[in-house]
Amino acid sequence: MHQSILAFRKRRYLWLALVVTGLSIAGFWIDDPQEPANGGTVLGYTLGTMGALLILWLAWYGVRKRRYASTAGTVQGWLSAHVYLGAALPIIVLLHSGFQFGYNVHTLAFVLMSLVIVSGLFGVYVYLKYPQRLSENRGGANRSALIDELEDVDERSKRIASKLPPEFQELVSSGISRLQLGESMWQRLRGRDLSQVLLKRGNDYAVVANPGQEAALDWLADQQAKCREPETAAVIGELSALLRNKRRLLKPLAEDLRLQALLEVWLYAHIPLTAALLAALLVHILSVFVYW
Amino acid sequence: MKFLIRFISRNAAGGTEQHDRLVDAPIITMGRATDRMLHLRDRRARLEHAQLEDQNGKVHITTAALAGVEVNGRSQRDARLVVGDVVEVGSNILRVIEAPPGSDFAFTFELSADAERDASAPGHYAAEAKRFSMRSLSWFLAAAVLLLALVVPGLDVVNPQFAAVARGSKLLPDDTWWLAGPVHTAHTAAGADCQNCHVAAFERVPDEACVDCHEVNRHVAGDTHAVLGERRCASCHLEHNEPPELVKRHQGLCADCHRNLPDDVALENAGDFLLDHPGFKVSLLQPQVNASGETEWVLQHRLLADAQAADRSNLKFNHAAHLDEAGILAPEGRRVIDCAECHQPEPGGARMRPIRMDQNCAGCHSLNFDPDDPRRTVPHGDPDAVMQVLIEYYSARLLGDDPDAGEQRVRRPGRALTRADRDRAAAEARVQAMQVAEDLFERRVCVNCHEVTRSDDPEMPWTVLPVKLTERFFPHSNFTHAAHDTAASACDGCHDASVSESSADVLIPAIESCRDCHGSAVARHNNASQTPSTCIMCHSFHFEAKGTYP
Repeated sequence: MHQSILAFRKRRYLWLALVVTGLSIAGFWIDDPQEPANGGTVLGYTLGTMGALLILWLAWYGVRKRRYASTAGTVQGWLSAHVYLGAALPIIVLLHSGFQFGYNVHTLAFVLMSLVIVSGLFGVYVYLKYPQRLSENRGGANRSALIDELEDVDERSKRIASKLPPEFQELVSSGISRLQLGESMWQRLRGRDLSQVLLKRGNDYAVVANPGQEAALDWLADQQAKCREPETAAVIGELSALLRNKRRLLKPLAEDLRLQALLEVWLYAHIPLTAALLAALLVHILSVFVYW
Repeated sequence: MKFLIRFISRNAAGGTEQHDRLVDAPIITMGRATDRMLHLRDRRARLEHAQLEDQNGKVHITTAALAGVEVNGRSQRDARLVVGDVVEVGSNILRVIEAPPGSDFAFTFELSADAERDASAPGHYAAEAKRFSMRSLSWFLAAAVLLLALVVPGLDVVNPQFAAVARGSKLLPDDTWWLAGPVHTAHTAAGADCQNCHVAAFERVPDEACVDCHEVNRHVAGDTHAVLGERRCASCHLEHNEPPELVKRHQGLCADCHRNLPDDVALENAGDFLLDHPGFKVSLLQPQVNASGETEWVLQHRLLADAQAADRSNLKFNHAAHLDEAGILAPEGRRVIDCAECHQPEPGGARMRPIRMDQNCAGCHSLNFDPDDPRRTVPHGDPDAVMQVLIEYYSARLLGDDPDAGEQRVRRPGRALTRADRDRAAAEARVQAMQVAEDLFERRVCVNCHEVTRSDDPEMPWTVLPVKLTERFFPHSNFTHAAHDTAASACDGCHDASVSESSADVLIPAIESCRDCHGSAVARHNNASQTPSTCIMCHSFHFEAKGTYP
C-alpha cells in the first residue's frame, strides 16, 4: 500500500527530529556561557558539529538513493529522515550561531543552507500534491496514450491534406513540425504554446504564431468560406474538425508538461545549492580556525 | 528574388514525395526556431542558423555560427552557391538545382534517412526539455564559493603584499569576509590587519599580541591567580561578538572561586552582591608619629561599620555647620552653600578633586593678621614661614621700610638710625609678631581647622599637625560619580554630611545604600528597583591601584 514519506513508520523521524530540536533548544536555554552566545562556546561547538555532520548526512542521501544494492535502510526511510532532519537543521544552526549574522562567509553558508532547505520543502510540497493533479489532468490515461492520439490525428490530417492544394499540405506539415510546447523547462513551467505555422497569404508564405492551433483554424475557416466547390469545402471542414480535436488534446499535454516540470524544477536549486553549501561549510570551518 | 524550395520526404512505402514552395523574398532564413522560413529539425542547428541571401543576383549562404555550414563538405561562413552545391546542417540537406522557369534560384530540401525516422518518432510531442546540466552548475557554484571565499581571502594569510592590495580594493575578496563578528571600536586601528592579533594560522591569539599594545599588571603575573591555570587574555576579552563586549562581565568569572575560597586565602568569601557579599571595608589614612617625632601616614583597611568615627586626617571640619540651611557667614554676607561648591568632580567624573585650602577654604577663611591692614595675609602650610612673615612685617613697620606704615616710623626725619635703634626696633617687632602669632595659632585662625600644639621652644613654640585627606576610600572598586549622577540621586542620598559635626566621621555609604539600586546578578532575586549587578560592575580583575593599597 502507498504510504506518504511523511507518514513513514508512524512518523518515527518526525519524533527523532523533534527530540533533536528540543534537546538543542533546551541546551541553549540552560547554557550560561559567560559570554554572548556564539559558535565558539562549548555548546556552540557541540551544535556546530551536530549541524555539520547532519549536513553531510543529508547530502549523502543523493549517494544512497543511487545505491540500489544497499541494504542500509530503505530509500523511503532515508527520504523520510532526510525531510524531517533537514527541516530540523536550521534550528540547530541558528542556535549554533547564537543568532549572530553579518556580511561574511559564515552567514553565506547559512543563507545557502536556508535556500537548500526551502527548495527541499518546496520539493516535498510538490511531491505530495502534484502526482494527484497529474493523474487528474490526464483523466485516467497516461501521457503516451495522449501522444498516440495526437499522432493519430496528425496522420489523418496529412492524409486529408493530400487531397487538397499544396498550401494545405504545407499547413499540416509545418503545423506538426513547428509545434513547440516545451523546448525548455522555463517554457514548460510557464505553459506557453510557442507553436508556429506556415500560411499561404496571397502568393507568398508567412510564418505565423499558432498557439492552440488558432491561426491554422482561422485560416482554414477563411479558406472554407472562400471555397466554391462544395466537395472541397467539405474536406476542408473535415481537416478543421481534426485540428480542433488536436487543440483539445494539446491542452492537457501542456498542463502535463507543466506539472512534470514543477516536479523536477526544485531539484535544479536543491542540488547545485547543496554543492555550494558543502563548499561554504568547508570555508566556514577552515576560516574560523585559520583565525582562531 | 524568387526562390523555389522543393521539399522531398519519404512516404511509408519507402518512396519519395515532393512538393514545391515558391518564395519571393531577398532572404531565406533557416534555423531551429519555429519562425524560420526553413525549419531545421536537428539539435545541432542553432535557433537562427544561417540564411540564403541575394547579393547582386548571386546567392550566398551566410552564417553567424562559429562552426559555419558545410558546403560541399567544407565548413564555411559565407559561400556563393551554384548549381550542384550541397549544403549540410546536421541531418538537413540542401542541394542547389537548375532553376525552373518562373524562379531565379532553386534547391531541394530533405532530411537524411535516419533523421526522418527520429522526427516522426513518438518523442516529438514530449521530447526531453532542454535543460542545463545540474552537475556542471554544482561544480561551478562550489568552485566559485571555494575560490572567492577561501582561496582569495586565504592569500591574505600567506602573502602580506597581496593582503594590502586586497584589503585596499573594493572588488577583491579579502579576509574581512572571514570576520565572525565586528571588530570592537576600541580595536579599529589594530583590526585593519587580521595578523596583528591572529599571528599564526590555526593558532589561537597569543597574549603577546595583546601585550604589544596593552600594559597589564596584577593578576596576570600568575601568583595571585595561579589557580586559573593557563588562561589567556582572550579567555575573558572576547572579540568579534554581538553585542560587542570586550570584557566578560559574568558573575561566575569571579564568583565561581570567590564564593568559596580556600582557607589559606586571606579574603572573605563573596558570591553575589545582594546575597553573599561581606560588608564594605574602607582604606583610611592614619597618622602615626615615628621615633623622630615626624608624622607618617599609614593605610588602614577597616570594616566600614567599625570605622564610623575613625577618620584621622588632623583636620577639624564640621560638615553640618557648613551646610547650615540658614547659611554661613561669608565675606559677602550670609549665604547657603552646597556640596558642589567644594566637591568638584575630576575630569571624566569618576572621582572628586582633592580638597585644597587655597581653592576651597580661603574664600571665607582669610589668613589676615592685622585688622588695620586686612589685605596682608600669612602664607598657608608652613608655620615657620608664618613667623618669618610676621617678623618681617613688624620690623618693616618699625624701621620705616614699609611705605604703608610711614606714620609709625622710629626714625626721625633727617637722622640716620643707629645700631642701637635697629636692635631695639627688631626686638620690638619680634614681640609684636609673637603676640600676633599666638593669636593666629592658638585663638583665631589656624586653630579653627588645625590641631596646634605648643612647646617651650622660644623661637617657634607652635606645631601644626600635618593634614592628609583620604582620597580613595574604596581603592579596590571602580565607583564613578558621573554614572550615578541622576535626578534621583543627590549627594545626601548616600553621604550623611548634613548631620556630621566631626571630620572623624567617615561619610562613606554602607553596602545597604548601594543595594537600594544594585541587586543580585540573578535577576529573580531582585526587586523592581534593583538592577542585576555582577562583580565586574565594581571590581576589576586587573587592579589599577596595585601596590598603592593593601
